Amino acid sequence: MNDMAAARPNGAPGAAAAPAIELNDLTMRFGVGTASTVLAVDRVSFSLAPGEFVSLIGPSGCGKTTILNLLTGLLAEEPEGDVRVLGKPPSAGNPDIAYMLARDSLLPWRSALGNAAFGMEVRGVPKKERERHALELLKEVGLGDFADKYPKALSHGMRQRCALARTFALDSPVLLMDEPFGALDAQTKLTLEDVLMRLWSAHRKTVVFVTHDLAEAIALSDRVVVMSARPGRMIADVPIDLPRPRSVRKLQSDHRFHEYYAHLWGLLEQGVGDE
Amino acid sequence: MNKTFRLGLGHAVFIVAFVAVWELASRAGMLDPTFFGRPSGIVAYLWNGFVVERNLWNDLFYTILAATIAFWAGSIAAVLVGLVFAMLPRVHKACEPYLTLLNAMPRIALAPLFLLWFGLGVGSKIAVAISLVFFIVLSSTVAGIKGVNSDHLVLSRALGAKPRDIFFKVTLPSAVPVIFSGLRLGLVYSLLGVVAAELLAAEHGLGQVLAYLQSTFDMNGVMALLFLLAFLGLSITVAMNWIERRLLVWQ
Ligand SMILES: Nc1ncnc2c1ncn2[C@@H]1O[C@H](COP(=O)(O)OP(=O)(O)OP(=O)(O)O)[C@@H](O)[C@H]1O
Ligand SMILES: [Mg+2]
Repeated sequence: MNDMAAARPNGAPGAAAAPAIELNDLTMRFGVGTASTVLAVDRVSFSLAPGEFVSLIGPSGCGKTTILNLLTGLLAEEPEGDVRVLGKPPSAGNPDIAYMLARDSLLPWRSALGNAAFGMEVRGVPKKERERHALELLKEVGLGDFADKYPKALSHGMRQRCALARTFALDSPVLLMDEPFGALDAQTKLTLEDVLMRLWSAHRKTVVFVTHDLAEAIALSDRVVVMSARPGRMIADVPIDLPRPRSVRKLQSDHRFHEYYAHLWGLLEQGVGDE
Repeated sequence: MNKTFRLGLGHAVFIVAFVAVWELASRAGMLDPTFFGRPSGIVAYLWNGFVVERNLWNDLFYTILAATIAFWAGSIAAVLVGLVFAMLPRVHKACEPYLTLLNAMPRIALAPLFLLWFGLGVGSKIAVAISLVFFIVLSSTVAGIKGVNSDHLVLSRALGAKPRDIFFKVTLPSAVPVIFSGLRLGLVYSLLGVVAAELLAAEHGLGQVLAYLQSTFDMNGVMALLFLLAFLGLSITVAMNWIERRLLVWQ
């Protein structure tokens, strides 16, 4: 269970060789040809094996969100370099990808169930099937009893649980999460990190997780990619060699956790001074 | 329960006291009934109009009919035009100055024109009311659609929603509360438009009766009709609140 490879059921031979996500010398300039060209991402390369959980950390404005947006193919402007998601170039509405944002963005006129099913709905999953599956996931995130509640009746943490259910209900092999717990209080955050770990172990997705919280990055990830201040360059790609399954709470008392923390912090500081 | 009961009781006591003072002051000669009417006279007028002679039912019917038709026609047209504007922003931009100009016109001043065009009957009343309802509902529809939460749009797009789905499952539902408040206002203004046009010239309707009573200085009748109209407006508001609570439980 601790080992990634061992945890993968029926890992098809050869599948391990093909990365789920691949960035090759990815460079993103906004407003090319105008007076205000912004170099947002500068020659970033990394890749994720299927089922891998990688965090992206770096100062504000270093291009983390831009990288996620590039993977979804939603940006109006084209990057330089090569991006691949499951071997394919990004395309808008790619069903292989589920996206989760810092704000839960629940639709207030839909119940928790309706919200959890929303992603499946726009992807054309039949009503019966999507409601069954959405309820299943609501139960997994601990919202089984709140399926018919409207978002106004849910706490922040519950709303973000619902957003987690909506994201995982899509059954997309790739998850992109942009500071999904950034707006939560520390206590709720720890709980939801555990929920996320449980879901991830059960569903085995490839995850790119953007965060400003080093502890969160270490606790959740197989690797942490550190970026410099704008223009975002890669400073380091740090494997996190802590045994799984991890409990985010228990890690706080593990000395290796604190060593990683100090190491990553040093790298970040160096990246800020870069400019 | 206790609280609402006490509040209701308070209102009842106040109204009874108000009516009693009015009646007594009028009988004592402190309040001239030729200018203010008197409660007993007002009740008598209504009793006569609705129960004995029953002539008011007919006028009430015409006023409500015109207001209802104008409300539905005006709102449906406005919501449809609003949707077209949302889907074709260029059309919206092209039409906007003309709409603003039309909306700036004092619609009641158009009533004589409408009387000329559509005759003394119910048609001209409907036209005046529609000219009010349409713009109110149109501007709330446009505002509602523009006010859609951009997070919801980003998320829907990221989840792979098609523009059609985004419009019907995100933009439109999010606009419903704003459209609804426009409808509520539209209904009140529809009644206002009809009565105002009836005051000018009409064959039937409460406004026409009111104009007649005013010209004959029947203050009890005038007061009775004013209360009747206020009561109509109040019922509309209460009904719309009730519908809104049912329709927008998520709010
Ligand atoms: N659509 C756009 N057009 C122009 N510039 C953009 C656009 N999107 C992002 N940028 C710029 O690119 C840079 C990187 O932005 P990005 O949102 O990716 O940063 P981030 O790392 O996610 O920051 P944060 O941690 O604050 O969320 C910023 O300087 C931003 O102003
Ligand atoms: Mg960001």
